[in-house]
Amino acid sequence: MNRREAVKTATAVVGGVLVTTNGFLIACTRDSNKPTGKVLSVEDQSLIEDIADTLLPTTPNSPGAKAAGAGAAINLLLTDCYEPADQERVVNGLKQFRDTVGDHFASMSQVNREDWLRRIDAEAKAAGDKHYFNLVRELALQAYFSSEIGMTKALRYVMTPGRWVGCVPLQPGQPAWA
Amino acid sequence: MAADTIYDAIVIGSGISGGWAAKELCEKGLKTIVLERGRNVVHIKDYPTMNLAPWELPHRGALSRQVLKENPLISKAAGYGEDTMHFFVKDRDHPYVQAKPFDWIRGYQVGGKSIIWGRACQRWSKHEFVAPEKLGYGMNWPITYDDVAPWYSHVEKFIGVCGNADHLEAMPDGEFLPPFDFNCAEKHLRDSLLARYGDRYVVQGRWAHLSQPKEIHLQQGRGTCQARNLCMRGCPFGGYFSSNASTLPWAAKTGNLTVRPDSVVHSIIYDQSKGKATGVRVIDAHTHAVTEYQSRIVFVNASALNTNLILLNSTSNRFPHGLGNDSGVLGKYICHHNYRTGASGRLDGFEDKYFYGKNPTECILVNFRNVGKQDADADFVGGYTTFTGGYRERGEPTQVERVGGVYKESLTKPGPWGVYMYMQGETIPRATNTVTLHPTQKDQWGIPLLVTSVGYDDNSERMIRDWLKQANDMLSAAGCKNIESHDNHQAPGLDIHEMGGARMGSDPKTSMLNKWNQLHACPNVFVTDGACMTSTGNQSPSILYMTLTARAVDHATQEMSRQNL
Repeated sequence: MNRREAVKTATAVVGGVLVTTNGFLIACTRDSNKPTGKVLSVEDQSLIEDIADTLLPTTPNSPGAKAAGAGAAINLLLTDCYEPADQERVVNGLKQFRDTVGDHFASMSQVNREDWLRRIDAEAKAAGDKHYFNLVRELALQAYFSSEIGMTKALRYVMTPGRWVGCVPLQPGQPAWA
Repeated sequence: MAADTIYDAIVIGSGISGGWAAKELCEKGLKTIVLERGRNVVHIKDYPTMNLAPWELPHRGALSRQVLKENPLISKAAGYGEDTMHFFVKDRDHPYVQAKPFDWIRGYQVGGKSIIWGRACQRWSKHEFVAPEKLGYGMNWPITYDDVAPWYSHVEKFIGVCGNADHLEAMPDGEFLPPFDFNCAEKHLRDSLLARYGDRYVVQGRWAHLSQPKEIHLQQGRGTCQARNLCMRGCPFGGYFSSNASTLPWAAKTGNLTVRPDSVVHSIIYDQSKGKATGVRVIDAHTHAVTEYQSRIVFVNASALNTNLILLNSTSNRFPHGLGNDSGVLGKYICHHNYRTGASGRLDGFEDKYFYGKNPTECILVNFRNVGKQDADADFVGGYTTFTGGYRERGEPTQVERVGGVYKESLTKPGPWGVYMYMQGETIPRATNTVTLHPTQKDQWGIPLLVTSVGYDDNSERMIRDWLKQANDMLSAAGCKNIESHDNHQAPGLDIHEMGGARMGSDPKTSMLNKWNQLHACPNVFVTDGACMTSTGNQSPSILYMTLTARAVDHATQEMSRQNL
């Protein structure tokens, strides 16, 4: 099965489960808006990147998730590496997120965005693994810490260390090795 | 027959032992052809991912759903990833039949699995060659440690093995390059176990890495290991040993080597009038054209189970049940290493210590069970080597904040230390653990499919229980917290240490090969890969295959010059 066929199958599963919900209808109407062959629409990719950037914002030490291009990476990983049920959970979850927060998350201040995520995170903690936000967090971390910015600016990555030194003092403020 | 099908020697397979056969044969002046069923892989040129950063891989190193769906079996293999999967077979291309669950992990290309091997290179102790018979769970090898010791040295000097001379009976020293140092957690583990037990030794990894290359390694075009730990992609520095980086180019420099990729060996040709093998029948992987190659001697290094398959498929009037199989032993006594168990724990402290680089080796907790005798408190036979290491997690263990800048920064800090262990356990060779040819099903080249019927026994289950108890005790002794241990119940084969089927032995009635790895009944055929193993020992086997290969080539060339072959 090639990637395009994989996406078709995923859509069918999503449809089978969600055919009566508004979420599915919205997803359908947005099909033309999707980055080629991806699970998330342009709007959803943008929203999940804003969520990721709120979780992992730019700090004095390093650029955040948006600068690292987390949205496109999440969409790619979700599309190619996650099960249809997980894809459905994220697509549905983002719909739920909009229903809760409204359509203006992107234009909120970082403080307000963080407040919203703390409330949703509290729900997710109470709900357990199945809550969409836990998966969104997992995707955000995966995308950020596998990006060039995440690995080289937030963490430290040396592709060719040249040598192994087993025991050295940890320098004050030294980030972890990627 | 065309002249380019006639050689002094044929080597079937270009992996870790086939590459060694090629090197030694070519150095002795023999015109040698290496037949490799897979595609060509040229050192450096054919390592497409060797210099890619994680973010440059299509899925950042993650496996796609499609790859997993199409390859549920091979994707389980250690080291299989988005950056290495081109060096593993695809499930659909190479079917076999599992009478009992068995994960047969294969890498079909020039270099074979030597590109993707684990690289651990401990020597066997003298006990491991004799323990099975002495302690009543197997048969003696026709050789002892003293027979192989000089050949271990010969191999170690050429491939480059890092390690420390620890002077331990259960794991003899070799010709070592400087070891990769312990990190602080590993030092602590070593000291704790020595203090608690007195005779349990954690030593630095003995791995096929050039920690400090010597002239012989520079001559191979190989350089210092750069501590990237991206080995299985193929190393642009030649920092670890593979056929591609070392033995094959070395053999080629003699002018005596021909490598023929895409050559699936169907069978070895036996001439009854001459009383010996005369060559090998090959099917082109793509055109399916059949070619017969002739030679004075044949080295079978097709990987343990494929060597069994080829011998079983090499039938003649003289050998209706497979080449050299007068005893009926061929395909029996298949064994492997028991890799089912692991344990880990958190180690508090050492917050101000870190490391630099990526250690491509692991520490070895040397076998302390049934070493040359049966321990009174052990309800199992055989020993186990334990691989272990200390690691430092990424991210603070608990986040006060789960959103925002503070959260992000907490994830970028070094986390707590931990220690892990896993077992490499000896298994008992049993006549009932077999590989056979399927009576009707064939692969795309018309060769019968291999049927694997290999299982664990009660001894393995008892060994697992003992290891789990010992590992928990040892991690406790080192002060570890949150200790977790598991038996993953993985099928045999996933260890990628399958062995036996054409075992060595003194008695032709109970073994296939003599002490020089020659078929008792067809002495110009040598088997020096994992198929030759009489027992499994508890050490990593690859370097023993290389050692037995070099020793066998030496004998073969002496016999050829005496006109005995």
